[in-house]
Amino acid sequence: MLLAVLLPFIIAIFIPFLSKWKEKFHTGIVATIVPLLIFIYFGSFLGRGFEPVMRTYNWIPSLDMNMVFHLDGLSLLFVLLISGIGTLVALYSVYYLHTTEKLGHFYVYFLIFMGSMLGVVLSDNIYVLYSFWEFTSLSSFLLIGYWNHKHASRYGALKSMLITVFGGLSLLGSLVFMHMITGTSSIQQMISDKEAILNNEFFPLILALLLLGAFTKSAQFPFHIWLPDAMEAPTPVSAYLHSATMVKAGLFLVARFSPMMSASEWYFIIVSSFGIITLCWGSYMAVRQTDLKGILAFSTISQLGMIMAMLGFGTKIAIFAAMFHILNHATFKGSLFMVAGIVDHETGTRDIRKLGGLMNYLPMTATLAMIGIFSMAGFPLPFLNGFYSKEMFFKATLDLSAQEGIAAFLTNAIPYLAVFGSIFTFVYSMYFFFGTFRGKSNIDELPKKPHEAPVGMLISPAVLILLVVIIGLFPSLINETFIEHAASAVYGGDAAKEIYFWHGFNLPLIMSLTVIAFGTILALTISRWRTVYNFVPGILSMNKVYDFTVDKSVVYSSKVTKGYMNGSLALYMKLILVAIVGVSFTFFFLTGGFALDLSQLATVTTIELIVAVTMTVAAFGTIFTHNRITAILILGVVGYGLSMLFIIYRAPDLALTQLIVETVTVALFLLVFYHLPDLGKRGEARSTKIMNWIISAGFGLLITTVAISAHSSKWFDVISSYFVDNSYKLGGGDNIVNVILVDMRGLDTLFEIAVLGLAAMAIYSLIKIKNKKEE
Amino acid sequence: MEIIMSVLAGILFMTGVYNLLQKQLLRIVIGTALVSHGAHLTILTMGRLKDGAPPILTEGVENYTDPLPQALILTSIVISFGVTSLLLVLAYRAAQINHTDNMEQLRGNDYE
Amino acid sequence: MSNLAVLPIALPFLAGIIVAFFHKKLIAARIFSIVASVIHLGVTILIFLQVNAGGSIVLELGNWEAPYGIVLVADPLSALLALTTAIIGLAAVIYAPKSLSELQEEFYFYSFFFLLISGVSGAFLTGDLFNLFVFFEVLLMASYGLIILGNGKAQLRESLKYILINLFSSMLFVTTISFLYSVVGTVNMAQAAERVGEVEQQGILTTIAILFFFVFATKAAVFPLYYWLPNSYTVPNAVVSALFGALLTKVGIYSILRTFTLIFNHELTLTNTLFIYLAIFTMIFGVIGALSTNNVKLIIAYNIIPAVGFMLMGIGIFTETAIAGSIYYLVHDMIIKAVLFMLIGAIIYVAGTSDLNKMGGLIHHYPVLGWMFFLATLVLAGIPPFSGFIGKLLLLQGGLAQEEILVVLAALISSLGILFSMMRIFIKGFWGEPDIMELPSQKPSLSLMTWPIGLLLTISIILGVGAEWFYPNIEAIAEYVMNPDLYIESVLKE
Repeated sequence: MLLAVLLPFIIAIFIPFLSKWKEKFHTGIVATIVPLLIFIYFGSFLGRGFEPVMRTYNWIPSLDMNMVFHLDGLSLLFVLLISGIGTLVALYSVYYLHTTEKLGHFYVYFLIFMGSMLGVVLSDNIYVLYSFWEFTSLSSFLLIGYWNHKHASRYGALKSMLITVFGGLSLLGSLVFMHMITGTSSIQQMISDKEAILNNEFFPLILALLLLGAFTKSAQFPFHIWLPDAMEAPTPVSAYLHSATMVKAGLFLVARFSPMMSASEWYFIIVSSFGIITLCWGSYMAVRQTDLKGILAFSTISQLGMIMAMLGFGTKIAIFAAMFHILNHATFKGSLFMVAGIVDHETGTRDIRKLGGLMNYLPMTATLAMIGIFSMAGFPLPFLNGFYSKEMFFKATLDLSAQEGIAAFLTNAIPYLAVFGSIFTFVYSMYFFFGTFRGKSNIDELPKKPHEAPVGMLISPAVLILLVVIIGLFPSLINETFIEHAASAVYGGDAAKEIYFWHGFNLPLIMSLTVIAFGTILALTISRWRTVYNFVPGILSMNKVYDFTVDKSVVYSSKVTKGYMNGSLALYMKLILVAIVGVSFTFFFLTGGFALDLSQLATVTTIELIVAVTMTVAAFGTIFTHNRITAILILGVVGYGLSMLFIIYRAPDLALTQLIVETVTVALFLLVFYHLPDLGKRGEARSTKIMNWIISAGFGLLITTVAISAHSSKWFDVISSYFVDNSYKLGGGDNIVNVILVDMRGLDTLFEIAVLGLAAMAIYSLIKIKNKKEE
Repeated sequence: MEIIMSVLAGILFMTGVYNLLQKQLLRIVIGTALVSHGAHLTILTMGRLKDGAPPILTEGVENYTDPLPQALILTSIVISFGVTSLLLVLAYRAAQINHTDNMEQLRGNDYE
Repeated sequence: MSNLAVLPIALPFLAGIIVAFFHKKLIAARIFSIVASVIHLGVTILIFLQVNAGGSIVLELGNWEAPYGIVLVADPLSALLALTTAIIGLAAVIYAPKSLSELQEEFYFYSFFFLLISGVSGAFLTGDLFNLFVFFEVLLMASYGLIILGNGKAQLRESLKYILINLFSSMLFVTTISFLYSVVGTVNMAQAAERVGEVEQQGILTTIAILFFFVFATKAAVFPLYYWLPNSYTVPNAVVSALFGALLTKVGIYSILRTFTLIFNHELTLTNTLFIYLAIFTMIFGVIGALSTNNVKLIIAYNIIPAVGFMLMGIGIFTETAIAGSIYYLVHDMIIKAVLFMLIGAIIYVAGTSDLNKMGGLIHHYPVLGWMFFLATLVLAGIPPFSGFIGKLLLLQGGLAQEEILVVLAALISSLGILFSMMRIFIKGFWGEPDIMELPSQKPSLSLMTWPIGLLLTISIILGVGAEWFYPNIEAIAEYVMNPDLYIESVLKE
């Protein structure tokens, strides 16, 4: 099983080499064989007696990150979808993508996506799941940006990535949290320990983060906005990632965790309300689109919403219908995308306003489209699988029960919303089909003269449509073999359901008929009420919110950053000082830092006082003098004062060094500033001055208080007695300071010299490079 | 005396920092020198002041002042001397090449 | 007792001095530098292996017993970081000739470089606070030399600010050392730790700890002390930026980690709360900075800051998992920052501009560069299974186990921001019409630049995918770090 998941990745490595011969041998052929093999492998698990399989492959056991693959009914449904549709899409792409395109890139992304998607649905380990999850987002990003010379592609790619990775990170937060609570990184074990999670005080956060991950991936309102823009990807990609598989990862996630989460009332409220709103909004907005793929994108959003809502209901029939519809949706929507691709390929446009009457030119395509469309619309015919699941959906909406609160309100509202959404589903389906294939044809205005598509291009949609019909005619064929297993895995108990065409003349059927009646009326009068779209999305458009957020995040970041990162050293220093003084004093008071011990102080003598006062005056003098030379000389006074203190405090070596250093420094100061342009005195605003005084006084105060407290807290003997004892004995010198410097702390001294050497080199290069440049 | 020295160190830091916040390059470099003086004075004060004879071994003297802070200061003086020299030359070159010694005019947002 | 511990400091130190004597003979200097770096790498590998097999190597320099003389302590943590430093050093020295002008190379680039490596290794290895200050000065002085190398107008302007802020913090550093000396009477870290422990960090000691934190936080570029970083890392040559980005801030973080796990670990509720809040702000403001500009190099420079936030977060959470996360992240970040600055150097080299608005379509001409950048972006943003993810995961685990929700959310959001800021470069710079930019008709050969980048990138990918080989080691280090008694005993031999 590991090989099955890794196979796409392994083959992806060789694709760039294969693509060198793409003229003779279309790279897509390899990409067709890979999913086919995977499909055959997983197909062998199918059957009535299917039992879940768990395989463990060690990867990073010490972090609880292992490749644990759990093949149960749910993942089996998904792997077969991924590999099956993958095969068909790859085959379709062989005809769709010309060999002049960068096939190598395309199929590398394609295979990486496929492998990652398999990984997502098979992983029982949350971290492996998350890893693959992010890789689906990234490969989707690369695929949308495949034609990256187009602005729209880049825009769509970034948008999809930001939204799905945002969701991915939120998912990660939720997964890690659950790991920390339950102590296991296995989903199945978490489910068996669900009480711990449900009773945790942070459960609402965990649920919200998890659902955020699922909703962004599955394009639920209001995060759906990335999906229409993702249509910039080549059509095979749209058919595969953005309708049949990747966008269903969110559904998968919700389904996977529903045995754990569905016990919570909030789970029902959030998931079903988001789902039902998405259903309505998506189908409503689909009618507004003029791009064929745009219609399909919103249609996908709406259908995803419907499935999401059913997962939220959590009843037996709802779960069953959800699983069933995941399969059905993949069949008819996949084929419709391919149809849209064919139309685009053959006519050169996907703009429904320019299209029309193509039935005569593309009869095969039109037939396929018709079956797909009517299945999607849920038209009650015994060979359309879409009708079955739609009917079950209506039944599920009626089966809900809740006593009070928001949940009760929802259960009452959902059936109406379901009908509302389905009416628009019917409308856009008709709009799509009749707008493209029927009506007036204006062939001359199309960029290309339309012909029927090559046979190769028709194979894949034909297979899918065939599936639509087969499932429609013999639903129990797939029911017992795997839909049942999938539903049971999600429901957490036996969820077998019989699928019938005729349930009698009951409420769900009335709902279906209502949909058709109103749908037909609205579809016929579409031109009269379309103006409504000029008003209703308006400010509600989440695209505007996204654009605003992204644009403004850059603009405001820039504003904020330029606000303080203005290059002014004085400002930087002020901010740093305020932080240091503020926080240090806070801690000083919090921890009772102050101490004063007057018992061990040295005596005060007049000479020291004189020196100290002189230094104080001089130090202030550097600020108040206007003359630069004076300032430098006054600085010298402070330095010499310091060496006086060193003498008084019995540090002769220091005094000597300080004396020399001070002299040289002052000389250097004078030398350098002799050459500097005198640009006059710079006044500061009064308020700035006061501010500077406060800050510097605060810092001085900090040093003084800490110094006094530190000095008053001498709790230990200093290590220096050792130096006194051993200076001569071991170090061979009388001058203890010198012995310390050259021997005990010789390393310091060595590197202190290194610092001087470095300074010399730096100065040398400062001066020398200038001369070189001027030469 | 340690209290007075602590206050003096505080004053040196304060005036040094005030100078650091000025616009004129010269003042800023003076500020760094004052801060270094403050730091060195603090180190000395943190050993005990006048607690014994200068730390040069002499017959018959038992008590010496703490030699370690002195060694540390010595290292630190030399290092700050190196930095200050570099800083001075750099200040000179920066002022020359940018035609100003006003730090506030050296904000800049170009990176060549 | 093994003298091995001094070699990571002494070798580059000597190499730096020797190479100064023939700094104008570039061919010889380059070969010499590569050879020296390889030997240096070999030595650090040896130390790393030996430390992991036989425990910390404690070297009392000049045989002056601790705590009186200076000790070098090659413990698991410092050995690991010294090793990482050596790897980056080698990559940088291969990359340098292509990136630098000959004039820059001639003016002691290699000397500055080696002393920088020496200072950084010293800072990791030393067991003495004042000695740490000295090594800080060495690496800073070398960095001053590197940042002004070339004498550009903006370079001089920004290096002035860089030096001034660092000088200030250095002076605060010695002052704070003296405060600590006054209270505990020693500058040896192990002994200081022991003595601070004896009095349970009462009274003034916590304030002193906070001052130390601010000193290190300035070097580490923690909020609100990082203002000096973005511009001063943008102005020098790419190889210099790579060294700075990989090594300098990390020394600051290492010092925080060391002092607050070893010495000041008795008032954790207070200090860790501070760290966690600062970590949040560091992440958020760093990301905001990274989104604020169109200068590609500046984007990378800003991206250093949130990474610092991540590492500080682990220190603030202070559990074994979180500390392991910080250490993993530290190693990861050292490597990936070097990679990114080198990549940006190559991008600017071929594009002739660092302005994102003037770039486009580069991937059609430089696919290898483009995909390396893409990969590096994934690594940086913490996309699994690369190295950034492992560190981030540990941090998240640590944070959530302690129910530090706020910092976890900040970490997640800033991950998105990091990815966004980097993808902007990829989308704007690499994607687009192939002929949007006027590129020189003769494509310059980049192999000398791409090889070291590829080397480092491979390491960071292995660090993620092969985490099983590294994590137990990091976990052991975290366990060791959380047991400061081990360190104290190994130095003071009680």
